[in-house]
Amino acid sequence: MSSRQPRILICGNLVWAHEEARQFFDGLADLVVMDSPNRADFLVGLKSGGKYDQIAGIYRHNTSADRIGVFDQEIIDALAETGTVKWIAHNGAGYDQIDVLRCANKGDFHILHPLGLPSMRFHGLTSNLGISVSNTPGAVDDATATTALYLVISCLRNYAWAEQSLRQGTFKSGLDPGRAHDVTGRTLGILGLGGIGLRLAHLVHAFPMRVVYYSRNKSANAPEWCEYIDSLEGLFHLVGEKEIRTMKKGSIIVNTARGKVVDEEAMIRALEDGHLSSVGLDVYPNEPLVNPRLLEFPQNVLLPHMGTENQDSQRHMEVRALTNLRDFLRDGQGNDLIPELRSKL
Amino acid sequence: MLPRVLVCGEIEYVKDDFEEMFRGIAEIVHLVSDSRSHFLSSFGPDGPYEGTVALYRRNTSSAVIGKFDAPLIHALADTSKVRWIAQSSSGYDKIDVQACKERGILVSNTPRANEDATATTALYLMISCLRRFSMAERSLRSGTWKTPCDAAQTYDVTGRTLGIFGLGGIGLRFAHLAHAFPMRIIYFSRRKAESVPDWCEYVSSLEELCKQADVLSLHVPLNQSTAGIIGENEIRTLRRGSVLLNTSRGRIVDQEAMIRALEDGHLSSVGLDVYPDEPCIDPRLLTFPQCTLLPHIGGVSAESSRAKELQALGNLKAFVLGGIGENIVPELKTGIGNSTML
Repeated sequence: MSSRQPRILICGNLVWAHEEARQFFDGLADLVVMDSPNRADFLVGLKSGGKYDQIAGIYRHNTSADRIGVFDQEIIDALAETGTVKWIAHNGAGYDQIDVLRCANKGDFHILHPLGLPSMRFHGLTSNLGISVSNTPGAVDDATATTALYLVISCLRNYAWAEQSLRQGTFKSGLDPGRAHDVTGRTLGILGLGGIGLRLAHLVHAFPMRVVYYSRNKSANAPEWCEYIDSLEGLFHLVGEKEIRTMKKGSIIVNTARGKVVDEEAMIRALEDGHLSSVGLDVYPNEPLVNPRLLEFPQNVLLPHMGTENQDSQRHMEVRALTNLRDFLRDGQGNDLIPELRSKL
Repeated sequence: MLPRVLVCGEIEYVKDDFEEMFRGIAEIVHLVSDSRSHFLSSFGPDGPYEGTVALYRRNTSSAVIGKFDAPLIHALADTSKVRWIAQSSSGYDKIDVQACKERGILVSNTPRANEDATATTALYLMISCLRRFSMAERSLRSGTWKTPCDAAQTYDVTGRTLGIFGLGGIGLRFAHLAHAFPMRIIYFSRRKAESVPDWCEYVSSLEELCKQADVLSLHVPLNQSTAGIIGENEIRTLRRGSVLLNTSRGRIVDQEAMIRALEDGHLSSVGLDVYPDEPCIDPRLLTFPQCTLLPHIGGVSAESSRAKELQALGNLKAFVLGGIGENIVPELKTGIGNSTML
């Protein structure tokens, strides 16, 4: 009989919350750092007797993909095969690097509690054969919404263009002041009024901008000044040729979500003929590659996925992911189980 | 004959309305001079500007006739009937208002027309500096994605302390936008402001402001008492790692002290829209990639440009019609009533 504590795998960057990690898992689990240089080494390590043997839960950060790739079917299957891995606590709001449907398919879902009692206080259910996944909603909201606000302001006022002009030695000659517009009084359309969208709505309401939104469901938390509109369908290439051409000429698209939500070709065509006056992007379909055609437009504001890149938010996110993991070990479930894995009783 | 209004500098947005505004009230004449000497000798009998009682002034006119310094003001007073200068911006440091006071010429500016636009610029500079976004963009455009960016050097806006030096229209508007996060807002001003929200905390001195602010933003006009007021002492009173923003006038800051503080990291970055010798930029500023540098576009948007023109023209029209206009600059407000009537 093993008297060893369960083991937690730290898979990817953990930079700010080392102290919290020590405190959370003291007496609960041992921490193991994933140090594989590539996927092959990682998969070998997961096998019985390997360096990642007996892992109960994983803290995952997207930086791990640089070494072992994303958590696709191959990795999920390997994790399931261990028989011990039951929880992936993803650090990040977006979890598209994890094949969550594969995680769900790895078993039936039952109510589970460490002591065998029904866990009535949780919304979702935990599988004792499958792998649960949590993310870190909320912890990213402020930083990402601030990034979106920056993109909105910068596009409307052509600040990035102006700074480029200064740094090239032309001060502001060559800029057309008539192209720069106030933020106040313009209309912001928000696609997806979740935590980030709502936070952005709040920040622009200070000017104020008029806020309209579309979401899967009409939001119960939305203030009365957030106007719901019902249109748009589909998920991939949600914003395509049709949606772009429906926008008024001179409009701006800001994307802090995921690059693939927008049909990039349609967007570039609209920049070329001026239908879109500029775009403000923090995300791209194939990061870190950026379509060089986007760089040809000086009015575009292009950030390299900086949405949550600051130490305050990064710390919050790490703590949130570690909390989900700790709660899973201690209580059988973490709070931020992703929507796809919640099912009805 | 109608009194004349001379336009020194282009009117771009209000072109059509502008003729309409003055129909039957004043004759509009445009600057035709290509030198200061021509300008100053043209207000007399048979000169192109004969009969001018008021001027619309844009800073761009300096390129042709120079600043409205004391010699120019005195010459205007001596050779013309000009008794009102409507500056079409909130900054009027290119006009010698003391000379105007001596000679009974009133000056108006456009204090509120670009408040929103300028406050928005201050907000942009602040976010860009705290998050090092400007640097990140340049890194992307030069093909290095975000490699040079270090999250250890960047911070959230929420919860930090914004110190506002000068709680006038622009300072207050910036405070309002920053408060949305929220930030803690502290300010120091000539006088404790009368009607400010209770979340705007007054501090008793510039030194105290520097002690407590994570971000210091300058919103005072440039004049004799504010030139260089942010110097070595003030910068070193800020805590190490602070951010300095300037959307007012470059010369409010001792640039050498500021650059030293960037060199040794005392200031983590600066967000500037204004410089001591625009459009010249001290090349050393370009060597700090973490800074955000804009070419004095703080108040520039299609909407604010139009609003400024309308406001300045409105001041002129009110003066021509009734002998007095609005938005008289603070330095001249106490001088009203003496020999400024048409």
